Amino acid sequence: MNKIFLVIQREYLTRVKKKSFWILTLLVPILLVALYAIPIYLSLNSLEVTNVAVVDETSMYGDFVSTDDVNYFYYDDTTAAKEALYSDSIDAFVYVPKTISGKLPTDVSVYYYKEAPSASVKSDIEEQLQGMLRNSILVNVYEITPDDYDLITNTSVHMIVEDLETGEKDFVEIKMMIGLILSLLIYMSIFMFGSQVMRGVMEEKTNRIVEVMVSSLRPFQLMMGKVIGVALVGLTQFALWIVLSGGLISAFTMANADKFAGAQTEQITSIATKGQESVDQTAVTMPELSESQEMIQGLMNIQFGTIILSFLIFFVLGYFLYATLFAAVGSITESETDNSQFVLPLTVPLLLSIILMPSMVNAPNGSLAVWLSMIPFTSPVAMMVRLPFGIPIWQVVVSIGILVVTFLISLWVAAKIYRTGILLYGKKITYKELWKWLRFKN
Amino acid sequence: MELLVAEHVEKNYSGYRALDDVSIAASEGRILGLLGPNGAGKTTLIRIINRITAPDKGTVLFCGEPLSQKHVSQIGYLPEERGLYKKMKVGEQAMYLARLKGLSKGDAEQRLRQWFERFEIMGWWNKKVEELSKGMQQKVQFIVTVLHEPKLLIFDEPFSGFDPINANLLKQEILRLKSEGATVLFSTHNMASVEEICDDITLVNKSKVVLSGNVREIRESYRKNIFDIRCCKHGEELTLSSEMEIVQQTTDGDETDLRVRVGNTPSNELLRQLIGQADVLSFQEVLPSMNEIFIEAVTANNQQN
Repeated sequence: MNKIFLVIQREYLTRVKKKSFWILTLLVPILLVALYAIPIYLSLNSLEVTNVAVVDETSMYGDFVSTDDVNYFYYDDTTAAKEALYSDSIDAFVYVPKTISGKLPTDVSVYYYKEAPSASVKSDIEEQLQGMLRNSILVNVYEITPDDYDLITNTSVHMIVEDLETGEKDFVEIKMMIGLILSLLIYMSIFMFGSQVMRGVMEEKTNRIVEVMVSSLRPFQLMMGKVIGVALVGLTQFALWIVLSGGLISAFTMANADKFAGAQTEQITSIATKGQESVDQTAVTMPELSESQEMIQGLMNIQFGTIILSFLIFFVLGYFLYATLFAAVGSITESETDNSQFVLPLTVPLLLSIILMPSMVNAPNGSLAVWLSMIPFTSPVAMMVRLPFGIPIWQVVVSIGILVVTFLISLWVAAKIYRTGILLYGKKITYKELWKWLRFKN
Repeated sequence: MELLVAEHVEKNYSGYRALDDVSIAASEGRILGLLGPNGAGKTTLIRIINRITAPDKGTVLFCGEPLSQKHVSQIGYLPEERGLYKKMKVGEQAMYLARLKGLSKGDAEQRLRQWFERFEIMGWWNKKVEELSKGMQQKVQFIVTVLHEPKLLIFDEPFSGFDPINANLLKQEILRLKSEGATVLFSTHNMASVEEICDDITLVNKSKVVLSGNVREIRESYRKNIFDIRCCKHGEELTLSSEMEIVQQTTDGDETDLRVRVGNTPSNELLRQLIGQADVLSFQEVLPSMNEIFIEAVTANNQQN
């Protein structure tokens, strides 16, 4: 047993000491936080303000409103605008020429000098022009006020799905998201760490390290030491990801706390001013605010304790099932190129459970989802899809039971293949051959 | 006393018999050469002794007891195909292998330092294995094999990959270990090293033992009654009685080298006949080299089957 511990120690330390481990460990939280932080950061700190002049000969586009990124100025004629453009005091100007009376002025030119306006500036100009055009059509042709128009287009129904007895609210979208994230995480980690085991075994075999090792310890100890060592590397990585992402996100939030507060008050004042303009509009935004509160409540209703515990159980069991088989595959192949016939049968069930994920999400208690969450090779992924929706506890227990039994069988099979395969060189191994090894008393 | 005895060992792989009624015995404090062409079953036998695989039939005794897992710590095995983790540091790697052999951390480090100093490779301790040449790696592997001071040392082709200087160093170390009481099982194709090192041999061919015994006795039993003579001839021609035959004759200045097959005639008779015709400078029996014996025994065995 002491020897297994030594193997675990080596497998763990050599991997944790690698640069690639730390790069991945740091990169994932950084990317995750960047995904969350960059849009917020950009919206809080606008980089550059574009000055745009407007020359409106029709007097129909008089309502340009400056935004954080674009400042609008009105000029009387194009000569003044051109001058301003050449002298760099503006970046572009919008020219709406006088048209034949009676026809709607829809031909608009935007002139720039040297540097074309960015896509966001262009779309801002376009949106404002369209809005003003639409409003004038609404008022002049259909005699509808813009506020009435907003009311019509923003009509929405807010639906709450609620348990009749407990009053608990159901949030399918959140459950889907959690299921999606967990199942992808379990899928990727089983694959990543399983193939790490396989590569480790192949390294030992092709470099003839096993020859030296097997006189000191049993092949089974070597295999299990590697499988457990890599599992610990995986769990360490998970823990670091969670701690680092959490730390980075709260650090980012803290660093920008004043800006967040500023942004919030700005939002509130803008809502307040709008509210003064039209009472109806505030009435429309109110349910949206309470919806996000309900989302948070919905998140709280999900039993994260159970889900995290189940995730760990299914990750560990699923990983052990696949890792032992990956170790066996590694022991019978000498190069990455000739192992596809053995790797493929291992990857197909995992891939299948990912491909069938949408169907499972739509019917988390349908027969497909139930069956996939019972079949041991797909159950780790399938269970993660189903778990957030709340499933009968007996199904979880049965699924774990099946997984454990299958793992023990696969361990027996893998150990048999491994001890023979690891010392066999220069022989192409077929399934027929493997079957012989399994039946052969050793 | 026999440290290791394997009796009537048989091992089958699917559809193929690797060992057929093989018996060997390694006497304590002696070096036993395990010889045989490629595929004869040497590695299988060594793996059985290391308990990597189990025999189908037959017994293996270690110190008179049936071989079991506890004896593995008293065996040091240097396999023919040997590798190290390329990315690990030499010192770390050596410590790891030493501790897998059951040495405590302190013991392992102390002994490793002694050996590294003896081999003058202390500077390699913090180098990565991949920075070392193949010969350098072999030195590290040799140290790890003998570090736990096992009673039985098994070397499978130990000299492959060594330059002559380091091969000689290794040979001296093996002989030193023997003088300290270790028993050595030595598997090789290199017959010259067998003559220099081995006390006894067992020759395996096609899964069976063809020849075994003391090296000197075997060489004598294979003697062809051939003698090498260096002499100064008195006349032009040398004439010997008809039972004897001059196989080879070269003359360089005054001196002539002769190789004579005497048949059943005693060697003294050859000497007596020569004395009349030449001044004999040297007279020596030619014993067949292990290489010749190896080829002869294997060829004869192959023809039998």
